[in-house]
Amino acid sequence: MIEKSQLVKDMQALLGPEKVISSKLERYTYTYDSSFLSQLNEYYPDVVVCPMNTEDVQKIMRYAYKNDIPVTPRGAGSGQTGGSVAVKGGIVLDLSGWTDIVEIDESNMQVVVRPGIVHADLNVVLSSYGLFFPPDPGSSKMATIGGMVGNNASGLRAVKFGNTGQYVLGLEVVLPDGEVMKTGGLHSRALKSVSGINLTSLYVGSEGTLGVITQIRLKVLPKPPVRGILLTLFSSLDDAAATVLEVFKNGIIPSGIEILDDSGIKAANKFQPDLKLPEAEAALFFEINGSKAAVDFEGQQVKEIAEKRASVVEWATDPQRMGKLWQGRAVIGAASARVKAGATRIFCGEDVCFPMAKVPEALRRIKEIGAKHNTLVVIYGHIGDGNMHTAPIIDPLKPEEVEAAHRVADDIHQLALELEGSTTGEHGVGFTRSQYMVAEHGKALEIMRIIKDAIDPKGIMNPGKIWVER
Amino acid sequence: MKTTYQINFAEELKKCVRCGECRANCPIFSESKREPDSPRGRLALVKLLQDGKIQASAELSEKLYGCLLCKTCAVNCPSGVITDEIMVGVRDYLDDVLDRNIIKKLVLRGFLTRPALLQASFSLVKLYQKTGLNDVLTRSKLIEHLPETMSAGAKILPDVSKRLARGRIPEVVKPYGEKRFRVAYFLGCATNLIYPDVAVSGVDVLARHGCEVITPAVQCCGMPHLAYGDTDTMVQMAKNNMKVLLSAQVDAVVTDCSSCSATLAESYQKLFEPGTVEYNQAKELSSKVYDLSKFLVEKTGIQPGPNPVNVTVTYHDPCHLKRGQNVFKQPRELLKAIPGVDFKEMKEADRCCGSAGSFSIMHHDLSMKVLERKISNIAASKAAVVATSCPTCTMQLSYGLKSHGIAGQVVHPVQLLAKTYKIVDYP
Repeated sequence: MIEKSQLVKDMQALLGPEKVISSKLERYTYTYDSSFLSQLNEYYPDVVVCPMNTEDVQKIMRYAYKNDIPVTPRGAGSGQTGGSVAVKGGIVLDLSGWTDIVEIDESNMQVVVRPGIVHADLNVVLSSYGLFFPPDPGSSKMATIGGMVGNNASGLRAVKFGNTGQYVLGLEVVLPDGEVMKTGGLHSRALKSVSGINLTSLYVGSEGTLGVITQIRLKVLPKPPVRGILLTLFSSLDDAAATVLEVFKNGIIPSGIEILDDSGIKAANKFQPDLKLPEAEAALFFEINGSKAAVDFEGQQVKEIAEKRASVVEWATDPQRMGKLWQGRAVIGAASARVKAGATRIFCGEDVCFPMAKVPEALRRIKEIGAKHNTLVVIYGHIGDGNMHTAPIIDPLKPEEVEAAHRVADDIHQLALELEGSTTGEHGVGFTRSQYMVAEHGKALEIMRIIKDAIDPKGIMNPGKIWVER
Repeated sequence: MKTTYQINFAEELKKCVRCGECRANCPIFSESKREPDSPRGRLALVKLLQDGKIQASAELSEKLYGCLLCKTCAVNCPSGVITDEIMVGVRDYLDDVLDRNIIKKLVLRGFLTRPALLQASFSLVKLYQKTGLNDVLTRSKLIEHLPETMSAGAKILPDVSKRLARGRIPEVVKPYGEKRFRVAYFLGCATNLIYPDVAVSGVDVLARHGCEVITPAVQCCGMPHLAYGDTDTMVQMAKNNMKVLLSAQVDAVVTDCSSCSATLAESYQKLFEPGTVEYNQAKELSSKVYDLSKFLVEKTGIQPGPNPVNVTVTYHDPCHLKRGQNVFKQPRELLKAIPGVDFKEMKEADRCCGSAGSFSIMHHDLSMKVLERKISNIAASKAAVVATSCPTCTMQLSYGLKSHGIAGQVVHPVQLLAKTYKIVDYP
């Protein structure tokens, strides 16, 4: 076993001292992500390294493989499951400084990037080519593309555009032993390929457990020229859900359908007072994008459907108003705490996904779970695909409230399984949800483990995630 | 942690959910890309200190002093974490438990509390520039061999050969025409010593807008002390300044320096327990403090003179004015009211320039990286003149333009307004 001080010296020798973070104080800032559990424990990495090219990563992996040292890849650390936290110590790879766009292949509608580039930054660059990368996480301003691939993230526009995996054409991966592999074809620029077993798909959502993703080839789309947002408010959750189903039944697929419950509406108003959302049991935000004619037509159709049940309907095409509405929804994750003075929103049990038809029941039962444990739970999320975000609002300095929040999270995860949903729609498993994996997957989890062991026989890649340690 | 600066660390720190939104906004993090340099990272370290898991140390201090206090993270934080205030509070604590650098102590407690001594010491700086020593050191590159902070200071400091404002502005300046307001002009240290023309223009423009202007003998506002955690000294200066300004029987206290107005209007209240005499005085003073552009736009209305200035102008928002006091429309209104001004909004006008008082000297390389983005935005605006309302921003931007070989001038908005009149330059 390598001594920690030797590990630091060796990393400095391999990469140069400027790419190595070793002081205990600085390493502390790599012990957390947004997950509440990571903040209750101190998972110190032994060293943090900041590779800036594939060769750096290869050197690190060869060393780690030889010396049996755990390696945890990390992007912005904005995840909510502890996925980028080194629960077994070892080396954290901070990839967030490696932000290059290697190539924008405009004519073939694809882009090649390094893992650290931030989602919003990529889309700013792409927009000057009339292109965009559609998945739209609420954490767009900080989430890295590498992290999005690792977690198969999606976000507010998944209802029309799907998740990250649908856009990943190929990957460069440094394997646990330091070898480099390319998925999706060594020289391919094809937008479709069924050549061989789909290893790209295997790596998307593998949460850093199978290797280090060092380059990503993404399919991108023409940026829709026009968008509009329909804000609707409902006095009952059932009416909101019924409206969503009716929109779909009319053959319309909005680019996003987002919901805030009553406390989410309050939080949005507190964060952005000029939003001025009236009180209601639920607010829905429909985003329609495409050509002007399509947006006008579909916007009008959705508006007419919503007017049957909604108490307030507002169709916005003014960029400033749309920006505020969308931003108000996007940041609600962190802004939820504003509904209760002296309280904080915590991220646990926050990403369950329900079958569409069971969303109203799920929302009611989540409120019951909150009441049972005397915990305020703000609900918001992507009602268009059933992916709900639940935010326990507690005082983290009060142990009894912390304990109650853990029970709330457990009940919500169990509810997702009971209602034939999933414990996570887009945030991933990390170590915060690994305890539910057997119940969710059964035999399939064993097969996942066999694949993991085949690729990473020494178990050095992001140990302690997805599977409960044997 | 017990501090003079009024902040409840436990309550403020628990608001941070570690979402990382601040990584998107912090000018320092956007250069370093390392978590310890992010607002979230710094807050995590303060929480360790608050929880008693670490002790104050030089390394901790260095990390926490790596913050510009630009407030960008705070105003964009979904959870409402006031990171900059937490940094000010923890620096106050660190100042009490760690040995302060002797030079900082000398500057904060010696020079900045004694205006006469400060002015006298500045004569040495003038002498240094007048003898041509600065040019010799720069041309021969010997300047690079000075201690880092000295060489940075020597590079950034502009020509200071002009006479100080305090010697040039009469104690009382009568209004042109009927008196509408009696105003105290708070003459900040940097304006007085480095940009005296700004104050000369400011006072004259106020007089032309119907103000009787007095320029009381005040001490430094205390912003440098706040930034370096020396609240003990700042409390004494605040008491003195409040006494002087509140006894002056004025309708308003006006200043051309955004850091001074932010300190007088916001920070003084945080130095005293609510309910105390001093707290009430700070509140009273706060209600009278105005940024110069804000006062001219909102209180007197802009009355430009007849001479057009015919120049393309862009505006840089000082952090303490835009995010600290929500003043950003008024300087633009003022500029647009000036005949002949062709106003061009630059990209990221409110992004910090990296100056942050003495940050550009103490963390010179990092500050220059932050400045580079600002300079490229200025260049893209194609404006010939950059207006801003802060003397240290003026210094930083002037240095940036010069070092990037960009022709351009940096001025206070009121200096352009003053050009529309036949300005009085007090002899």
